[in-house]
Amino acid sequence: MASQTVKRAIKEVKPILSLDREEARLRVLNLYKAWFRQIPYIVKQYDIPRNEEQCRRKLREEFTKYDNIPDIRVIDMLVIKGQMELKEIVNVWKQKGHVMTYFKDTIEPKPQDFLSKFLNGKE
Amino acid sequence: MLRITLGKIIKGAKVSPKYVYITTRALSGPAKPPENVEVFIDDKPVHVPPGTTVLQAAALVGVEIPRFCYHERLAVAGNCRMCLVEVEKSPKPVAACAMPVMKGWRIKTDSELTRKAREGVMEFLLVNHPLDCPICDQGGECDLQDQSMAFGSDRSRFTDIDFSGKRAVEDKDIGPLVKTIMTRCIHCTRCIRFASEVAGVDDLGTTGRGNDMQWGALTSKPYSFTARPWEIRKIDSIDVLDAVGSNIIVSTRTGEVMRIVPRVNEEINEEWLADKSRFAYDGLKRQRLVTPMIRDNNGELKPVDWEAAILTVAKVIKCAGPSIGVIAGGMADAEVLVAAKDLLNRLGSEALCTEHTFPLDGSGTDLRSSYLLNNKIVNAEEADLVLLIGTNPRLEAPLLNTRLRKGWVHNDLDPPKLAFREQWEALAGKEYKPRPVVASIGPEVDLRYPYENLGSNPDLIKQIITGSHTFSRKFKAAKRPLIIIGSEIFERPDGAAIFAAVQTLATKSSCTDENWKVLNVLHKVASQVSLYYRLIMGGLDTPGVDKIREGNLKVLLLIGADECSINKSDLPKDCFIIYQGKLFIFNAEFGKVPFSIFHKTIKHSFLGHHGDYGASIADAILPGAAYTEKQATYVNTEGRAQETLVAVSPPGRAREDWKIIRAISEVVGAKLPYDNLNEIRDRLDQVAPHLTKYGYAEDANYFKQAEQLAQSIQGNIDNCTPLDVKIKVLEDYFMTDAISRASPTMAKCVQAVLKQKQSKY
Repeated sequence: MASQTVKRAIKEVKPILSLDREEARLRVLNLYKAWFRQIPYIVKQYDIPRNEEQCRRKLREEFTKYDNIPDIRVIDMLVIKGQMELKEIVNVWKQKGHVMTYFKDTIEPKPQDFLSKFLNGKE
Repeated sequence: MLRITLGKIIKGAKVSPKYVYITTRALSGPAKPPENVEVFIDDKPVHVPPGTTVLQAAALVGVEIPRFCYHERLAVAGNCRMCLVEVEKSPKPVAACAMPVMKGWRIKTDSELTRKAREGVMEFLLVNHPLDCPICDQGGECDLQDQSMAFGSDRSRFTDIDFSGKRAVEDKDIGPLVKTIMTRCIHCTRCIRFASEVAGVDDLGTTGRGNDMQWGALTSKPYSFTARPWEIRKIDSIDVLDAVGSNIIVSTRTGEVMRIVPRVNEEINEEWLADKSRFAYDGLKRQRLVTPMIRDNNGELKPVDWEAAILTVAKVIKCAGPSIGVIAGGMADAEVLVAAKDLLNRLGSEALCTEHTFPLDGSGTDLRSSYLLNNKIVNAEEADLVLLIGTNPRLEAPLLNTRLRKGWVHNDLDPPKLAFREQWEALAGKEYKPRPVVASIGPEVDLRYPYENLGSNPDLIKQIITGSHTFSRKFKAAKRPLIIIGSEIFERPDGAAIFAAVQTLATKSSCTDENWKVLNVLHKVASQVSLYYRLIMGGLDTPGVDKIREGNLKVLLLIGADECSINKSDLPKDCFIIYQGKLFIFNAEFGKVPFSIFHKTIKHSFLGHHGDYGASIADAILPGAAYTEKQATYVNTEGRAQETLVAVSPPGRAREDWKIIRAISEVVGAKLPYDNLNEIRDRLDQVAPHLTKYGYAEDANYFKQAEQLAQSIQGNIDNCTPLDVKIKVLEDYFMTDAISRASPTMAKCVQAVLKQKQSKY
């Protein structure tokens, strides 16, 4: 009885873009490729203090951050957001600083261990 | 004849049916409780024992009758008339607080007549009460204000036709703690009854009637015009200025402690609070250590940041190796003691000491019964004989003295002869409790109830044991004797011998009740009991500072040790003193050595929260948190673990004490395995499980074994030195620790006492 309800719930969910996992995977790969091809232009257009290699590593990092998401709808939504970000970059709606926020180089990591927390006044 | 029969039956003898009848009657007991009577409160039936007042009966069914003068813990006065209620078939309304119920009464607490009576009383009270609540300190937590809203009239009939104004009475200065506002007095006489019954100071009173009869609405003087009840945050906490561990509520606003009021705990402080605990809070804002400090080349303490302080201290500790000692002061919590002890053990040292000595001969601190107030504070009022040895409970633990006084005030007067006792109990409907006989060995002090001072010669204890003193007859006759021995005894060189004698004396009593503990130790400071646990668990053999004096220490950490128990002259010249929390580190020779050598020579650290004696002798100061600023465990003199909660944050760069030790340990390379409160509580639980059972006092035991071990004690009692206590008179009471010494209110109290002594009235 309970399993039936679950099944029905799954059935009744309205898909965002993809109907199955394979389709969602293809969308992600397409997005990844699009970003990957854009990287040389990003480095050139935005004049950021990073080379292509570093940007590719960051790109891979941003994608692998979400590699354990099971829900197809969530994957689709992330793909849509990724496309929006890409569009902003391609059309140069973003500025240099926006691109650099991916690298978070001005953010200080929060103290994790006891001693650094103590010295920072967090303990 | 009855007794013979009973005895026979118990032995299994056959008896005739006639005797069996008598026996069953005898077994049913003559002191049979009288039958309950049924009354109706607003038509709700309730069964109460005869003698219950209307007000109490109403409380049983959840009806609260408004009152001003009635207070559960004080004698009934019945003079405010606010509790008038209608009783069916009674011509007039009756005062519920004073009227015992009769069978079948139908009491109406919300009838037309009752409401009219209340409204009338309210109107009369307000005729002579100023309507200036916005400028009154009581506003917002005022019974009169609340009850006039609930039960008063909605309009005033007061017209000042003569333009004479309302009654106005001149205020009276009764010292730095209590502010009298005479004009606002409603003559409830609670203050008078409290002073004469609980405190035992008959300083307040009323004379005359009407406008001549005045005392005053009493408010707190230091708190006056500082905050309003609706804008303060209230935090439940524990008082640590004496060893009783009174429950308190800390009121804070804008990160500042505004006042401290008592919290009800029937087992400890009921709803009272000692003056020092209530008013010394302004000492928390003065003389505080707010930043770590290190003594520089010129011998001056210079503020540094935590990194520099921890690195310097850790370097010194590392160089010293096992030649490190710790002295813990009176307000150190269980967490910091555990951390300090663990750190010491990791460094190979055992020298964790208290400022107050405890003898280790005999059972020492191995058996809890040797250092606890075993019989619990609440039972002090049940005692029929109290022997105080080398203690002044009124000033060392005022709330324990209140209990003793309560027994003296409320228990029954002349002991009825045994033969009549059963009849007496049947008539009175309660167990007969005699008024305690109080005696003391030690200096003559004022306890606010009559007692017999046997003298101050320690030999008196032996005399009572052997029976050569007249008091020993009374002692042996007592069914519930209580011996309370002050912790100052242990600081005498012959402390162990005296304590052994007292242990022997305790076993000589004729008390047959297993749950009644005769032997009781009364401590003066809050940290002492938890420290003893640490000592036992760590197998340490030096609770006093003697070892520090003997040992050739290179580093000494003072954890809030401000009692001048250690002098620079006691220590090797190059000893580095660290004062932590309320404590610091010191070194006399420090100024003479170049800074590079400084690291080798500094030896005292002070960890503490107040700039007191300890801080003045230290080479490094590590500021800690006071009891209102940390979540910490304290164990009171009965062995009851309780915890304080964070009310405000520590000032400046001060940190919680145990965290400072934890930080040092990591830099030294002997990292302690706890990073947060839960983890260190687990460690507490490991060493002494009852330390984390908050609110619960575990019974101590093994009195006999402790006494047997005490027999092995070598050394005699020094009969030439009389027993003494440090705090003898009221002016000694107010300033006894780092917090109260920094408190201006407490200083004013001392001044007021001295001024009153000089007054010729």
